[in-house]
Amino acid sequence: MENYKIILFLCNWGPHAAYQGLQDNGYQIPSEIKMVSIPCTGRISKAILFKAFEMGADGVAIVGCCSGACRYGSGTDTAENNTIDTRSILELLGMGQERMRLATFLPDESTALKDFLADFCQQIKMLGKSPVSPVQPTSQDMPPETVQQVLTRHDAYSCQDCGKCTASCPLALSGKSYSPRTLVNSIIQGNGNREQIYKDLQACLTCGICFERCPSDVNFPEFVRDMRGVLFQADGMESGRQPHGGFFQSLMRTMTSPALKTSRWDWLPDDIRLDDQSPILFFGGCAPYFDVFFRRHQKVQTRDIIADSLRLLNFFDVQPRLLPSERCCGHDLLWSGDRVNFMRLAKLNVEMIQDLGVKTVITACPECYQTLSTQYVLQGLSPAFTVTHLYDFLEKEIDKGAVNFKQLDRKITYQDACRLNRMENVRELPRKLVRRLSVKNFSEMKDAGQSALCCGNCAWTGCDAHSKALQVKRIRQAKETGSDLMVTSCPKCQIHLRCAMEDPFLGEELKMEMVDLTTLIAKTIYYD
Amino acid sequence: MTKEIQKQEVIVTGFGGQGIVLAGKILGMAAALGDHKESTLVQSYGPESRGGACCAQVIISNRIIQYPYVKTADALICMSQSAYEKYKDQLKPEGYLITDRDLVTPDGCREFFDIPATRMAEELGRKMMANIIMLGFVTAITALVSKAAAQEAVQSSVPKGTEEMNLKAFTKGFEYGVSKLKGKEKKATGQIGVTS
Ligand code: SF4
Ligand code: SF4
Ligand code: SF4
Repeated sequence: MENYKIILFLCNWGPHAAYQGLQDNGYQIPSEIKMVSIPCTGRISKAILFKAFEMGADGVAIVGCCSGACRYGSGTDTAENNTIDTRSILELLGMGQERMRLATFLPDESTALKDFLADFCQQIKMLGKSPVSPVQPTSQDMPPETVQQVLTRHDAYSCQDCGKCTASCPLALSGKSYSPRTLVNSIIQGNGNREQIYKDLQACLTCGICFERCPSDVNFPEFVRDMRGVLFQADGMESGRQPHGGFFQSLMRTMTSPALKTSRWDWLPDDIRLDDQSPILFFGGCAPYFDVFFRRHQKVQTRDIIADSLRLLNFFDVQPRLLPSERCCGHDLLWSGDRVNFMRLAKLNVEMIQDLGVKTVITACPECYQTLSTQYVLQGLSPAFTVTHLYDFLEKEIDKGAVNFKQLDRKITYQDACRLNRMENVRELPRKLVRRLSVKNFSEMKDAGQSALCCGNCAWTGCDAHSKALQVKRIRQAKETGSDLMVTSCPKCQIHLRCAMEDPFLGEELKMEMVDLTTLIAKTIYYD
Repeated sequence: MTKEIQKQEVIVTGFGGQGIVLAGKILGMAAALGDHKESTLVQSYGPESRGGACCAQVIISNRIIQYPYVKTADALICMSQSAYEKYKDQLKPEGYLITDRDLVTPDGCREFFDIPATRMAEELGRKMMANIIMLGFVTAITALVSKAAAQEAVQSSVPKGTEEMNLKAFTKGFEYGVSKLKGKEKKATGQIGVTS
């Protein structure tokens, strides 16, 4: 009983008076409640609300002033929205949305507040302890690497100081005073400004353009990734600097708890046929979480890609199974430097998939694909299943013939996903599929294929005005092709580019419809 | 193959130079050598042999074949429009009409199975393999010969050194056929697209 942990975020204004009223009258606040006094409920972001759960809270209550009585005007409304989103995320995680509540009280409503606290405690105890155990370092974790080890592994010493990387880096080209060459060198010399090195390591998009150009073959994206690992592990997590307050890293760390039974499939449409004995497993990815998080902002619907992938498998008579308790593949943790938690996720996923006796894993997400098929092995795991990208499956099936595509009266262009394009060398395959479609026109952007510009963010790290400028450039390139539809292959490209399209100053100029290639195929394919 | 099938009469037809006779020969060989049935082949080049209609008549049977000419065909495989016009009336009402999609436009009074065999062969880089693609397609659509027997017969009939390429062509046609049958099945249920 005693070890229940309930976090109470309590607004300093109205409800705090009610809370004090309780204390003044000698009421014992239940011992499981840990009160955190806050200036306004509107200031408690989804990242902060969720952080409590990541750290093992069994319940979180956020208590503020009634709508209209907020000292700052819109605080309560913001809190309401944040609560709805956080609750939906808890639901997807299988933790139960009831673990989070929002309530409002006037200064004189002490009794109502007392009842609320008692009732919430009661409810949390009924739900039981949270399945999330806060991450503690264990002896099984990999020992942290040293700067030297990383430099040696990536042979960064062979840097010739030629500057080709900086000359090709889209961040540097969009005006940021950022130079991969300087970064490598100041790390090698070991005398650089630590703060600046941190910032630069955060900024890199790990897009890989520089690696394509480097005459010494320094794998800069992986070098940055592993340096992030070294520094962040030594100095603690840098969540404060991550976009969206580190919400996504927090979410993904939560999924490392083995006891967590996620329920990320409940929303799947009824028309999808699955077979829980199938040797083929479809790995969906985190799209459903993204959709919840960006629900009000960009109205992304990236989970449709999952549904359409499954429909396409069904179309070709494959009824796959799903991983009931699927977790994040770990891509974002790995690339934001949290290798320890990445390994925890990776091991859990591999174990769960192997326990099902699955032979083939199919996925449509470029990050899941790169991570499951390549990184798991590179990071020392030996999964006993093969990983196929949905495009591979589709190309093989479509190539057999007897299917056709409905005419689509659109002009399209294609946005490469960096994980498929430069990391896995999958750039012809999606284009082959694109060319099979019956559209009015397909044209490439100025920078396409090997030199394609990325969507401006990776692993929820280092989003700033310069990466925004890069996104704007990319969208303009897409528009310059004369196309009216941008075809993407990564849910994140949709999210980050849509975000840039919300720019209030550039407004309509940047608006462009986007659709995922999988969805486009699913919408137009038919048996001839 | 299926026991009830007693005798199957097949006409393979098209232009001279399309490998029509070879296709007929492979079909007959597959039935005889691979599936251990009886088979006969009659080829007619006629005066039209260069570019005109060319025809191979194949009979496959469980019993000894007394008369090697086709009276009414159980399957008509057409790789040219003129050949189609010439032979279409010999096909039984319930027989299979199989065509090269880009070369034959059937008159629409019966169901048929088509494949762009010549185009697919061009995509593979060898136009003359259209007949082998067609053979793969026919093997998938009809129950004339088994897949293994047909593959065996292809392998032993094509010029040395081209076996692998021809088997690839055969597989292309076969897979197209399987996919086609699946499509027919879906059409029957009224769902040809992903959701409708
Ligand atoms: S990976 Fe991309 S963003 Fe990072 S330094 Fe290289 S080119 Fe620049
Ligand atoms: S391109 Fe390679 S060799 Fe040249 S400065 Fe950059 S890291 Fe060094
Ligand atoms: S581009 Fe937008 S959605 Fe992407 S990380 Fe930056 S703020 Fe978030």
